[in-house]
Amino acid sequence: MNKKLLNLLLVIVMLAVLVPTTLAAPPAQEGQDYVVVADDWLSKLADKYLGNPMAYPAIVEYTNKKHAEDASYAEITNPDLIEVGWKVYIPSAEEAAAIAPAPPAAAVTLVLSNWHLAEPHWEKTIKAAIPLFEKEYPNIKVELQVVSYAEKDAKYATEIQAGAGPDLMHLAGYSIRNFVESGFLYDITPFVQKEPSGFLDQWYPELVEVLKYQDKLYGLPSDHMAMILAYNKKLFTEAGLDPNKPPTTWDEFVDYAKKLTRDRNGDGQIDTWGFGTVGAVDPGWELRFSPVLLSHGAAYLTPDNKCSALNSPEAKEAFKFWVGLVTDAKVVPPGVTSQGAGAVRVQFANEQIAMKIGSGWTEPIIPTINKDFNVPENLGAAPMPVKAGKTLAKTTTGWYSSWLINKNTKYPEQAWTLLKWLTSKESDQRWFDGARVLSSRRDVSGDPDKGLKPYQPIADDKFSQVIQAELKHAQINPQLKEWPQIADTVNKEVQNAFTGSKSADDALKDAHDQINQILAPYRTAGETCPAY
Amino acid sequence: MNQRLRTTTVTKRRMRTTTVLTYLILIGVCLFNLLPFVFMLFTSLKTDQEAYAIPPTFWPERATLDAYTQIIVWSDFPRYFLNSTIVSLGTALLSTVLGALAGYGFSRFNFRGRGSYMGLILATQMLPGVLLVGPYFKLLSAVGLYNTYLGLILAFTTITLPFSVWMMKGFIDTVPEELDHAALVDGCTPLSAFVRVIMPVIGPGMVATIVFAFLLAWGDLLWALVLTSSDDMAMVTLGLSRLVTQFRVIWPQLMAGSVIASVPCMVLYLTLQNYLVKGLTAGAVKE
Amino acid sequence: MNQSLVSKALFRSIRLNTGFAFVFPCLLLLLLVLGFPAFVAVANSFTPVWSNVKTFTLDNYIKLQQDKQFWESLRVTIVFVAGTVSLHLILGLGVALALNTEPLGNWFFRIIAILPWTVPDVISGLVWRFMYDPTAGIINYFLDRLGVQNPYVEWLAAPHLALPSVIFADVWRGYPFVMLILLAGLQAIPKELYEAARVDGASVLQEFRHITIPGLSRMFQVAFALDVIWQFRRFGLVYNMTQGGPGNATDILPLAIYRQYFRYFNFEYASAMAVVLAVIMIAISIPYVRMMVKRT
Repeated sequence: MNKKLLNLLLVIVMLAVLVPTTLAAPPAQEGQDYVVVADDWLSKLADKYLGNPMAYPAIVEYTNKKHAEDASYAEITNPDLIEVGWKVYIPSAEEAAAIAPAPPAAAVTLVLSNWHLAEPHWEKTIKAAIPLFEKEYPNIKVELQVVSYAEKDAKYATEIQAGAGPDLMHLAGYSIRNFVESGFLYDITPFVQKEPSGFLDQWYPELVEVLKYQDKLYGLPSDHMAMILAYNKKLFTEAGLDPNKPPTTWDEFVDYAKKLTRDRNGDGQIDTWGFGTVGAVDPGWELRFSPVLLSHGAAYLTPDNKCSALNSPEAKEAFKFWVGLVTDAKVVPPGVTSQGAGAVRVQFANEQIAMKIGSGWTEPIIPTINKDFNVPENLGAAPMPVKAGKTLAKTTTGWYSSWLINKNTKYPEQAWTLLKWLTSKESDQRWFDGARVLSSRRDVSGDPDKGLKPYQPIADDKFSQVIQAELKHAQINPQLKEWPQIADTVNKEVQNAFTGSKSADDALKDAHDQINQILAPYRTAGETCPAY
Repeated sequence: MNQRLRTTTVTKRRMRTTTVLTYLILIGVCLFNLLPFVFMLFTSLKTDQEAYAIPPTFWPERATLDAYTQIIVWSDFPRYFLNSTIVSLGTALLSTVLGALAGYGFSRFNFRGRGSYMGLILATQMLPGVLLVGPYFKLLSAVGLYNTYLGLILAFTTITLPFSVWMMKGFIDTVPEELDHAALVDGCTPLSAFVRVIMPVIGPGMVATIVFAFLLAWGDLLWALVLTSSDDMAMVTLGLSRLVTQFRVIWPQLMAGSVIASVPCMVLYLTLQNYLVKGLTAGAVKE
Repeated sequence: MNQSLVSKALFRSIRLNTGFAFVFPCLLLLLLVLGFPAFVAVANSFTPVWSNVKTFTLDNYIKLQQDKQFWESLRVTIVFVAGTVSLHLILGLGVALALNTEPLGNWFFRIIAILPWTVPDVISGLVWRFMYDPTAGIINYFLDRLGVQNPYVEWLAAPHLALPSVIFADVWRGYPFVMLILLAGLQAIPKELYEAARVDGASVLQEFRHITIPGLSRMFQVAFALDVIWQFRRFGLVYNMTQGGPGNATDILPLAIYRQYFRYFNFEYASAMAVVLAVIMIAISIPYVRMMVKRT
């Protein structure tokens, strides 16, 4: 009896000692195979399995060793680029210990420049997003550089020409082509080729084409919006119009505008007008005039971009219509040729105009100009009016912007990482949340052809949902280096017609002739353009 | 006796008409100069809302110092201010000193190529800044002066210097040559003749030249934009230009910044008037 | 006798060398800092300096000759310069004469006199544009309050009003420069000359004709020549006010050059335009340079 008890006691004591110690000892981690899934990156795996994000060189080393023997393992040539589905080998702690971890210092600093940093409303969103990037990529620090919208092209062009400039830049549509064709940007084609196939399909194709030149790709698309008609529901009601029935055709539009042009405060003078628009030389001018041209079935240039197409009957009709708003219908406030986009917003916010052409930025900006403008109740959004009797695919203009890498960048790999991150689905969704700007990505702005639904908040927002629906009807400007000059030429002739210096016909003819002269370098000796 | 009385009466009457005319002109000047500036001042005291109001208001209905607080406390304006002051003073100093010396040389001395050099100096002003910024940037980067005070001062001086030379030469020309010739004959070196004889007499001219150089550097935007990259080297004009955003002009703050930005020049002008005009002429050698 | 000859010779030799010594630092600085950029700027009109392909060509100048817009801009520029310089001089002279009498409150008036000049170019342009706005601007607001029938004057929008409005704004901003130079010139005229004339019974007009004008002539020439050159280069104010519109009504050459360079990215063409402008400015200023090089 005593011996049995002693044996039991011994066993219990042994268990009591051995079990805890066995349990307390760290699991002797074996080296293991691992298949990469989405949202994985090497430092994350190293952190999870080896306890140190900087230990990822060990994963690289061992995986490549395994690959040499067994081709089912991936070969990691670039630790920043791993693909979903790759089989990697995560070494055991002892094996990992043999490989030196990546030095935690040697952080690369990239300079990122974006004009949105100068706008109080937008800068917050960017500043909140950057730390998220830095957390994900601890080796890359991002320094933000402010520049104003008007000065950015001058600053970037001068700096890049002289061999410097920020690593990443954000540019608005009208100057992208200039930067692309002047050789100011870094060719990212090699990086894209390493991406899984279909990488570029994430964006609307015409926006990717903007960034292609001579078979090379120079950036990734960022924002994308369509111009729509914004209107003041209160003014509609006051003028006896149904606030929920905005004009759908241009004829209706003029009708409405005439009714909305009236004397509101009873002093005998007209103080509210139906429509306000940009007439000054302003980069946003073309966004307002192009829809009229497009929806009448006209175009600026011939499809081969070698001649002006403003001599078509449709173009003449569109031009006369636009000019007539000022000279005949008189539904536009005085001084339109000196109004820039900002001035028109101020007019709209002060209820001096009832309708204007705008887009995503209209909604958040109006309250900052006039707190008393009741945006939820009074701001109406409607698709761009069309020409009655014409069914056309493209009836409004598309606004777009891109992220680009400077050709002088010292860290192309890291810049590419940042570029991808900035144009990723999550980034664009965050950008919409903060800035109410839609994206060039199909999976954020939606693509019914591919069965992709838009990001839910876009569909839920009254204003943005109209923009989203118009995206498929949006046409972006012709992509050639001479585009700013062509736009300015037409702008100036519109001004001449508005002020009565020239008749609408003469102005359009002059525009037509000047554009043909601008495009002369594209034509060979034998080719001529049709006269007006 | 009679003649003197007659002259005094005529003089008094004439002085009255000229005085009336003078004050009329001065009041006109005040109105003309001040009205836009007063508009700027009042706009800076308005709320954002009121600044954008249509129809506009002249007097701020609800005056507020918000814009000033934003500019002075919550933004980097004090830093921009400091930068602009340093660069502008440096430019003014460098171009006036070199300009005065060169002006004296051109005015008093005949040497080979004098006319050509004068013409050449002025010709350098014929090229617009737009073309020069790019190469300047390259040049300053190459010598490591990019984004530095000295780099900016040198760049601005090249614009102000030609004008300073011509202005100073003009002012020195108005001083009769006998004055400094007398000093030279007395054994002064040309330099000390310049300092002791010429400079006291051209006080107002020097004030004009210094103010001109200061304001040119102070008010420039394009070069400040391109020749600086970090925020801690930015100048006032650059800071103000950022208030013109893509979507609107932030008027109250822009006006507040502009009003404050006018102050250093006025302080400079008053100081210079006090010291250069009063102080120097006190000890002037009169012929 | 010997001594005076020696001193004369010494004098002459000092004059020959020291003159250049005074001028040398200025020339050196300009050469070092401006030499390279100026060279590049001019060279750019003949060959693309920034790209790898360098071919010498006169194409830009040929294109320029046929460019109607360029010649139109030149015309507008000349009108602009003539208008602003003449008004600068008239206003500047008037105010300088007034301030020269050292009236009561001299300091106050002097500060006010240079006030417009202290506002940076670009800001002036923005502020005047705002003031000129037909419906949101303060000028038409005053017209409305004064009971004017159609207060919505299109200051910057109507082609026949745009250039005068721009000139007016530029006169506001620019005349203090001329005023300051002329004031300095007036203050250099010895007071004794006026006193003597007064004792002799001269009238104000006679004093002006015989003392002021000759005494001021040198500075007037300087102010005129410098202002002309300066006004040919005016950019910030006009750019922010009208951007050259409506049509080409206010499209002065510096604006066109800026646009060609930074909006159209036609770097070489912009350089050619600037070179032609520079040549025109040099041609215009030659007679004045000659006048001022002459030693009084």
